[in-house]
Amino acid sequence: MASDTTPNEAGDLTRRSVLKTSAALGLLAVPAVGLLSACASGGSEDKEGVGVDTADAVNPFKVDGKKPLEVVIFKGGYDDKYAIAQEAIYKEKFPESVITHHGIEDIRAEMGPRFNSKNPPDVIDNSGAQQINHADLANNGQYADLTPLLDAPTIDDANVKVRDTLLGGVVELGTYNGKFHVLNYGFTLYAIWYSGGLFAEKGWTAPTTWAEMLTLCEEIKKAGIAPWTYTGVHPYYLFDMMVTLAARHGGNDVIKNIDNLEPDAWRHASIKLALEAMADLKAKGYILEGSDGLDHRASQARWAKKDAAFIPVGSWLENEEKELLAADPNFEMKCLIMPPLDGSTNPNAVWAAPGEGFAVPQDAKNREGGLEYLRIMLSAKGREAFSKNTSSLTVVAGKTEGMPDSPGVRAANEALKTTATSAFPFKIDEWYPDFGKGILRPKLGEVMAGRLTPDEFIDTIQKAADDVKSDSAILKQKR
Amino acid sequence: MKRRKNLFVASFLVLPVTLYLVLVLSPFAQAFWFSMTNWNGTNPNYEFVGLENFQKLFTSELYSVYLIPALKHNAVMLIVVPLVVIALALFFAFMLNVGGRSRGGQMRGVGGAGFYKIIYFFPQVLSVVMIGVLWQAVYRSDEYGLLNSVLALFGVPLKSSGWLSDPSLVLIMVMLVMIWSSVGFYLVYFSSAMASIPAEIYEAAALDGSTRVQTFFKITVPLLFDSIRTAWIYLGIVALDGFALVFIMTPQQGGPDHGSEVLGGVMYNFFANGKAAMACAVGVILFFFTLSLMALSMRLTRRDRVEF
Repeated sequence: MASDTTPNEAGDLTRRSVLKTSAALGLLAVPAVGLLSACASGGSEDKEGVGVDTADAVNPFKVDGKKPLEVVIFKGGYDDKYAIAQEAIYKEKFPESVITHHGIEDIRAEMGPRFNSKNPPDVIDNSGAQQINHADLANNGQYADLTPLLDAPTIDDANVKVRDTLLGGVVELGTYNGKFHVLNYGFTLYAIWYSGGLFAEKGWTAPTTWAEMLTLCEEIKKAGIAPWTYTGVHPYYLFDMMVTLAARHGGNDVIKNIDNLEPDAWRHASIKLALEAMADLKAKGYILEGSDGLDHRASQARWAKKDAAFIPVGSWLENEEKELLAADPNFEMKCLIMPPLDGSTNPNAVWAAPGEGFAVPQDAKNREGGLEYLRIMLSAKGREAFSKNTSSLTVVAGKTEGMPDSPGVRAANEALKTTATSAFPFKIDEWYPDFGKGILRPKLGEVMAGRLTPDEFIDTIQKAADDVKSDSAILKQKR
Repeated sequence: MKRRKNLFVASFLVLPVTLYLVLVLSPFAQAFWFSMTNWNGTNPNYEFVGLENFQKLFTSELYSVYLIPALKHNAVMLIVVPLVVIALALFFAFMLNVGGRSRGGQMRGVGGAGFYKIIYFFPQVLSVVMIGVLWQAVYRSDEYGLLNSVLALFGVPLKSSGWLSDPSLVLIMVMLVMIWSSVGFYLVYFSSAMASIPAEIYEAAALDGSTRVQTFFKITVPLLFDSIRTAWIYLGIVALDGFALVFIMTPQQGGPDHGSEVLGGVMYNFFANGKAAMACAVGVILFFFTLSLMALSMRLTRRDRVEF
């Protein structure tokens, strides 16, 4: 290495002197970097909300039909064909408007920078595993207030407001800081699913109470079938068991207090009973061996093969396992809501968990068009486009246009009719994702796997909930 | 004169230095800056909060639940993975090159060495995603798992909490995959390094009656020291990462119950949870972690080179 030993004479270029010079240049450039990032910051100027003319059923938001409309759809379980069909309806109404459609999977990666640079699309279906937290965007004023949509007349009947057509809980679910920001469009029912064919063959009847459930589980076990399976890889599938059992036992306020971070909310006796019931299934050997390591598809496949009798999943199950279920004509998929524990005071409670959160960004160029697009989605034509393409219901109550008549859908409808008098939301997991994903979900998985006792769970979760409450940097929500 | 030359050199360096500044240094600087704000990844109006993020990472349960296990796991991986991979790769390379019987004074590998070399290299041609998916099927927790069905043949009952779904085992299972997928490459690497050791040295050792074990520790290892150090650094980088395997294979991507959390995964999770500033803070911690390890290893492995 000659340059290391050569004296650093004037006029002589050495590796070292070049490095020194470039390092100095680099230092000079650092302040420029600071300036660059400073460009990104700056206050969000307050834009006025969209107005609504409630007397105008045709164009209540005064959409400028010439303005283009950009729609971003999460391309997941529902795919994005339904949205293309709905965009066609908008185009029919405003033929001069140019519609841009994006069907994407990773919402955060593609839309995060656009929110950050105040250049968001006009409508966004912010869903999926990589969704941007609704609470973050709502808290920061990046979502438009959708209240005008609720007050607008529906497309199908000028005398009915959009608000009055939605299922109970939808408005509450989409409300952040007192304003309605997110329209959860797809209706999801969490339930326990079983094979009607298998039950008929073995002479079993669906249990109506938890005590009956345990008796039946013993019978199923004796028949050489595992009574239950579930996905341990995604423990949030277990929320349904916990919140439904607890709300049915102690009333919907048990869950409301949890969401509102009330002191000792997790220490309510109903929560403990619900968790003990869950842990009991594992302790009594009622759960398919290895369930805690199965992902949702693997556990559903074992269930579809009748290796396990019950599985807790959302109503998308039928669509997801279409092929497996079609292979067994005697399967006859049926569902029931978690049977209530002994002494339940609120046995009809059901967890309302609509999904596919649609929003109109505050900085969108065509917010009026965005609201009108949502109104179209909720109309009969829009619903038909959705249901036909996804075999799923929307959050418009009691409407089933375009739904295929399948056993799973019928079962969900039936369950909804008989039990939905007392629907409740469960929000803490979504409102505080660090708490939800970091602590609540993994610990619930541990309880179900039998590695954590309900008491340990409650202590840990209560402490974490108190941490959320005392952290002034976390903006709190209330319902 | 000097000025002119500097200008001349600078004219060549403008483009690469600018690219380096924009694409490498500025993201670094920005990460440091963002780690001291409350940026959530999507809000343009974030504020400066000082070192609060770092304090919370260690003291608030909500964040330490990710960070502390990740630091521990990366530290364990940093020790175990390079040690085991280098030991295995050296051993296999030795056996394949000079471990066999000497014939006519020539050192040879064990029979079928060429074939083994190819077999050992197989994992290297698979992408890390493939490896993850493959091993997920091997470790599957019910009776359809390859490992479980092989064990069943020997009458071993099904392990009730699975392999990857057992928080106390999951990290070991992931490390086994890392080791399995790395040994082949370092075997080939050490083999080629061994080829450059003059045969006379081995012959001399053999004449002096040195056993294989003595030859290995007294001849092969010292003469391969430079290669081993390089391997150590590369494997250290692999061990500090581990993100892809953890992400693909483990339940809850770093679980169960944070049992396989690694720093890269923690950054990802914080980004996904809308805590971009926290993610940047983890990146800064990782930066200093790596820097001090580098300094340490440079110091520890400094020694004279053996010329041959």
